[in-house]
Amino acid sequence: MSATLPLSHPLAGQRPPRGQRLPRQRRPKIRVLALLLVLAGLVLAGQGVWIHAKAMLAQVLLDRAFAETLATGRSVKPWPWADTWPVARIDLPRLGESAIALAGASGQALAFGPGHVQDTPEAGDPGTAVYAAHRDTHFRVLRDVKPGDEIEVTRRDGRRVSFRVTGTRVATWDVSGIDPRAPGRNLVLATCWPFDATTRGPYRYLVEAEEIRQPGPVVADASMAP
Amino acid sequence: MTSMTREAPAGLWPALQSRFGHAAPLLLLSLLLAVLTLAAGGRAARAELGPALVTPGEMQSGALLFRANEKGRYVEAPRLGTDVDLTVSGPTARAHVTQVFQNPTDQWVEAVYVYPLPEDGAVDTLKMVVGDRVITGDIAAREEARRTYEAAKLAGQTAGLVEEERPNLFTTSVANVGPGETVLIQIEYQETVRQSGDRFSLRVPLVVAPRYSPAPVTQSVDFKPGQGGWGQANTDPVPDRDRITPPVLDPRDNAPVNPVTLTVKLQAGFPLGEVVSANHAVAIETQGPDSRVVTMKGPVPANRDFELSWTAAAGAAPSVGLFRERVAGEDYLLAFVTPPALKQAEDKRPRDVVFVIDNSGSMGGASMDQAKASLLYALGRLSPADRFNVVRFDDTLDVLFPDVVPADAEHVGRAKSFVSALEASGGTEMVPAMQAALTDHGTEGAPRLRQVVFLTDGAIGNEQQLFDTIAGMRGRSRVFMVGIGSAPNSFLMSRAAELGRGTFTQIGAPGQVQERMRTLFEKLESPVVTNLSASFSAGAADATPETLPDLYRGEPVVLAAKLAALSGTIEVKGMIGDRPWIVSLPVAQAAKGEGLSKLWARRRIADTEVAQTLGQIGPEQADQRILSLALQHHLVTRLTSLVAVDKTPRRPDGAVLSRNDIPLNLPAGWDFDKVFGARPKPEFRQAGLLLPAAARADTPAASKPVPVEDVVLPQTATDAELRIIAGLLLLLAGLTVFACGRRSTGGRA
Repeated sequence: MSATLPLSHPLAGQRPPRGQRLPRQRRPKIRVLALLLVLAGLVLAGQGVWIHAKAMLAQVLLDRAFAETLATGRSVKPWPWADTWPVARIDLPRLGESAIALAGASGQALAFGPGHVQDTPEAGDPGTAVYAAHRDTHFRVLRDVKPGDEIEVTRRDGRRVSFRVTGTRVATWDVSGIDPRAPGRNLVLATCWPFDATTRGPYRYLVEAEEIRQPGPVVADASMAP
Repeated sequence: MTSMTREAPAGLWPALQSRFGHAAPLLLLSLLLAVLTLAAGGRAARAELGPALVTPGEMQSGALLFRANEKGRYVEAPRLGTDVDLTVSGPTARAHVTQVFQNPTDQWVEAVYVYPLPEDGAVDTLKMVVGDRVITGDIAAREEARRTYEAAKLAGQTAGLVEEERPNLFTTSVANVGPGETVLIQIEYQETVRQSGDRFSLRVPLVVAPRYSPAPVTQSVDFKPGQGGWGQANTDPVPDRDRITPPVLDPRDNAPVNPVTLTVKLQAGFPLGEVVSANHAVAIETQGPDSRVVTMKGPVPANRDFELSWTAAAGAAPSVGLFRERVAGEDYLLAFVTPPALKQAEDKRPRDVVFVIDNSGSMGGASMDQAKASLLYALGRLSPADRFNVVRFDDTLDVLFPDVVPADAEHVGRAKSFVSALEASGGTEMVPAMQAALTDHGTEGAPRLRQVVFLTDGAIGNEQQLFDTIAGMRGRSRVFMVGIGSAPNSFLMSRAAELGRGTFTQIGAPGQVQERMRTLFEKLESPVVTNLSASFSAGAADATPETLPDLYRGEPVVLAAKLAALSGTIEVKGMIGDRPWIVSLPVAQAAKGEGLSKLWARRRIADTEVAQTLGQIGPEQADQRILSLALQHHLVTRLTSLVAVDKTPRRPDGAVLSRNDIPLNLPAGWDFDKVFGARPKPEFRQAGLLLPAAARADTPAASKPVPVEDVVLPQTATDAELRIIAGLLLLLAGLTVFACGRRSTGGRA
């Protein structure tokens, strides 16, 4: 490598000999450029890492708050200035993953955990409960969920409801085809799709599940028979 | 839970390494910048991902999608084509306007189209072609026609309805246009050719400019008996704002819609000189000395008015025209008389001129430039003996000087810099501006002429309020309206000028500013023909206008009358300056004309409206007179509509009918943002198309007959990876540059 190489464009051809003095004249500028690039890179990468760190750290605090909610029956804010609070824990036993879901699916809430989409019932109530989370944090695990998997939801009133995954599909954000008043007790976990995209898009990946009927109510029905 | 930079950079690494190997940091840098740009544009990319890069409008070749009842679903607007066929026979023109409504959807639709017609046009015929059937419309009182139409709509019959919203603004509704079907609506109207000096002209408005409709601030209070003193405040200044504000397309996002073809068969009745189309390219075919066929080169989008003008061959200019028609046993007469242009002493009375300029948002673009150029020209024409003032308005108002000031160099200079600095923005509160202009502080010394020159595009919906203001405050002032832009509200202009006893000048293109303003100033400076009257020797005649208005230079007397007998003479008398002028027309020698009865009725109706505005007759009396005239002469008015119903029911029971408003183009030269504020985000429009058809059919909601409110899912992607990748690449680039810098110095050492 000749000394002039760093500044010459490969297509620019040979530089005249006096160009050899250029590197020394430009050296401080190169330093500044390099420093700026490094700084910008650190900031940018730091922001990206912070998004993931926030998502993980928040879950620790949320876990505590939710435990307190279960114990006291009150909604507990995970940290004093939070504008949301934990409403459920979602467990995927086969994959060993769990996450605390928050009230509302605003962008701020989603930074900390899955959000319970407004105007949908709570998991285990009649209709379709919808929880959404980021594809690259809490719900990255959805790509590994298969039909037949169990999803367990612990509600803030302490009730545990089990769902079985019936299928997965892709829809756009506004034509989700999810009817919150659909018959039965259903659950939908939603995240962005495709999983590996780096930009945002209109598509959503939906994991659909229905409640696994507990034997309890059947006994109750039988008792009503003549 | 996730690892960074997993798959995404996989394709980037080899490329980076190879480039790195060739030590080309600059190339690397440019690559990085591209990545950065991508990161910054992440938000935008959300809306433009994949096939969504094209808007639905582009995908559907100029069609517009409307948000349907079901969230996230869209229907395509009906398409429309318009053909205008005009026949000019002497003083009148007969127009056939054919609107082709095409339904591109697989649903039954109702199409609603708002469109302009000349303000003095008498709309008298509606024909609807469905398949191979032609149905002719009937005239009926507006409410009755509406009921007939609604009943047909419910019964699944195809029906057409033509209603007047303003004298120059009409609505056609077509119910039950079947999937993929085309329905033709043809309306016919009659109008008078306009004459000014030796120039005859015809204007076909092709687009409705979006109008500024002031918020309801002035209210009146209704007390109903038995409410114990409690009543409702109401009276929106624009009670029909929904009816006159159709959707308007942003020309930057949409190809122009509503193509128009236009043909004029011109039979002037005298040898023709020059025939000119002001705004459109035309082909002119000569068919004889007094006959031409003018075809607009097109089709063109409906975004500017068509204007055709013609003159007589040298020496052949007619100064008198007399035409008659016999309809239902009655004789109608139309007379034109151009007063002689006498050389006479100029009126030396000094003038007070108040210029009013509209700098509202609707004037943005070419209109504002034309208005400013016109006003600057006008300021330059003032003589030192004149006094003047300048008022500018949008939804605020500025009066330049406290009162009229002498037109000396200093004041004119100040006014010119004031006008030059104007920019178009805001709403159009025209009434306070007119009030300010008409506020007369009286005059000391010699009597002065008081003139108001009002430059605007007239894009307002509360016309009646403005008319009331002029009627109530005009005093000794005369109002000269100057219509600016490619599609001014000519109804407002001509009615305001009529009430203000002035004239209406139209400036449609920058090239017209000089010539038209000069003509206007000749009118302002020239003595008018005053004290005009017409008398019929053969006894009673029902003439319109009842009192002839004063004339400005080059304007003819236009008189329409219903006669008891076709004999005797009409004597027109007046004063030109201080000299009496009399002309006598032999009625029996009138030539045959067409549609004169309709024109007479239309003018009579306009007179009635003016009389009501001036408080000469009450509203009930006016309504009654208009209704009977309209029903007798088969005319569409604000009280009557044309309705056509195809008796055969066609839409099957249970099929849903959806209503679509046909969007309008923005008039040429208008600035979309100035009129509608910030540009609407297109994001919500495109999503409906993104879903592959198969996926849409699979969704449970789609298979259900009842529309379902879908859950709208939040954005669930972060740009964490993008930031990390971009960040690492930047870091790498920085280190590389640093390393290379070091190595190069090391090499030298």
